Amino acid sequence: MRGRLRRWRHGLLLGVAALYSLFPIYFITVQSLKTPEEDVFGHPLYVAAPTFENYTDLFEEGEARVRGYVIVPRVPFLIWLLNSALVLTGTVAVTLVVGVLAAYALGRLQPPGWRWWRRALFTTYVIPQTILFIPLYQVIIRLGLDDNHLALILIYSTMALPFCVWILSAYYRNLPREIEDSALVEGATPATAFLRIMLPMSRNVLVAAFLFTLGTVGNDFMLASIFLLDPDKQTVAAGLGVMDVSLEELLAVAGVNLAAIPVVVVCAALARGYVRGLTAAMVEGA
Amino acid sequence: MVPVPGRLASRVVPRSGVTRRRREIGWAYVLMAPALLMVLAVLAYPVAWEVWIGLTSFSSHTEGGPEFVGLLNYRTMLADTFFWRALLTTVVYFAVTTAAKLALGLAMALLLARPARGRTLVFLAVFLPWAYPGGVTVVAWYWMLNPPLITGYSVSAGNLKHAVDTFLGNGAYAFLSVMLFNVWRGGSFTAVFLLAGLNAIPTELFEYARLETVSAWQRFRQVTVPLLRPYLALAAFLSFTTAFADLANVWMLTGGRVVFPVIGTYAYWLGIRNGQLAEAAAWSLSLVPLLAIGLFFLFRWFDPPQEKPA
Repeated sequence: MRGRLRRWRHGLLLGVAALYSLFPIYFITVQSLKTPEEDVFGHPLYVAAPTFENYTDLFEEGEARVRGYVIVPRVPFLIWLLNSALVLTGTVAVTLVVGVLAAYALGRLQPPGWRWWRRALFTTYVIPQTILFIPLYQVIIRLGLDDNHLALILIYSTMALPFCVWILSAYYRNLPREIEDSALVEGATPATAFLRIMLPMSRNVLVAAFLFTLGTVGNDFMLASIFLLDPDKQTVAAGLGVMDVSLEELLAVAGVNLAAIPVVVVCAALARGYVRGLTAAMVEGA
Repeated sequence: MVPVPGRLASRVVPRSGVTRRRREIGWAYVLMAPALLMVLAVLAYPVAWEVWIGLTSFSSHTEGGPEFVGLLNYRTMLADTFFWRALLTTVVYFAVTTAAKLALGLAMALLLARPARGRTLVFLAVFLPWAYPGGVTVVAWYWMLNPPLITGYSVSAGNLKHAVDTFLGNGAYAFLSVMLFNVWRGGSFTAVFLLAGLNAIPTELFEYARLETVSAWQRFRQVTVPLLRPYLALAAFLSFTTAFADLANVWMLTGGRVVFPVIGTYAYWLGIRNGQLAEAAAWSLSLVPLLAIGLFFLFRWFDPPQEKPA
């Protein structure tokens, strides 16, 4: 009897957690499915006559459109989506490759003071970002990267790197050395031993690093809208960030929701691996 | 956190000892180079610039280059009562959101750690606030709490805002909504992170604790929390660093309409809207000591010296 009650309570709490987590996303998605009339007279929590107008409009041609009584300029949304995908792919590639190299060096080769190198990387999180983008802009121009996706790729990677290096190096450090040594005895070079054995073993940690990078990229607006000004080069985040009307504009919500579909699919597929990877990085000798 | 023999063995260098070790170290530097160069290229100059500008009278209103004024900006800042008020708000913002994120995250992690039907789906739901692109979620929270005039529930939301603002002072409602947003998003990250931490604790320890302790609360306080401490520390630190990113996002998305009297946004306002870049640099750097203290504790708890059997 008591066990039954407990199970119920547990289930109830799980339900509350799910509801709490999903509610804002549900809420705004409902708004984005409403017609202008329902927006005004309808109920805030559900939609009676859903319309996909906001979503389909994203892909239509033309200069502007009319929604209710408001004229809304059109945005090159498809291009924004492609740019976002490009920036994300680039950032993930750079972060993982550079991160794995550094993590192997710090976690396995352990040069003198490796602990301090790792900490030094992590210390970059202390730097206040507030007005940092002003000198950052100078750096980007000096590198000849203004209005270039590479600028964002470079900056996002630097933001995600310290955490990724931290968890990856923790994992490589804790991996029993015999695993690598047995491959070396078989005649493999350290590079092949790493690529064929250690890298596949760290799969889950790589997933964790990947999702962390994804979250970092997905949550920035400020940098995106500062460094990408050309509408044809902008990512979804940059485009929305400079759209002054974005808050009154459900088109924007529809847009990000569309962009979110692949993100959610990827997360659903990798979420388990994410937790396992973090755990593996934390447990010594995993 | 269990010491493993493999780690000791890794210190022993086999056969051709010294040369092999030296080669390894050389390679280590080569492999580290890209990461370090990237961080340096992106951050070294901006940080130096910010520190230097904070010591000058640079602003977009004056002619010519920056002029060195020493610690003048800092002295003016410290003499300003507004600074202390903003600092207080900032500390409260940090403390409250971080505490809330840790509490919520821990609660959700403990919930998810226990097997139950549908756990996977709930886990995915809990994961989403953090993973979902910020664009939707910022707008969602903003819209929910500060609806545009056209919606049916605008009046009740407006009344709530009015009530909160009269009770706590102007801008309180907006500030609270950012806090809520930050807790919602960060709590999700914390939950998943702490769940991973819980999984890292050997189950035998919990079974043993079940025998040794009287109540669930005692078990929680004396076993779970101490074992999770390093993860709690890292989660708290990351929460600090994202707390400001969220402020910036809300600022950006609301076109600067939502103003909070905290250090970060005020510095932004000074620098970008007012052109007082030197003061802005001083203001934003004023938080570094606080964060450095946080980092110090983080390293102590999360990255203890090698020999210590944690």
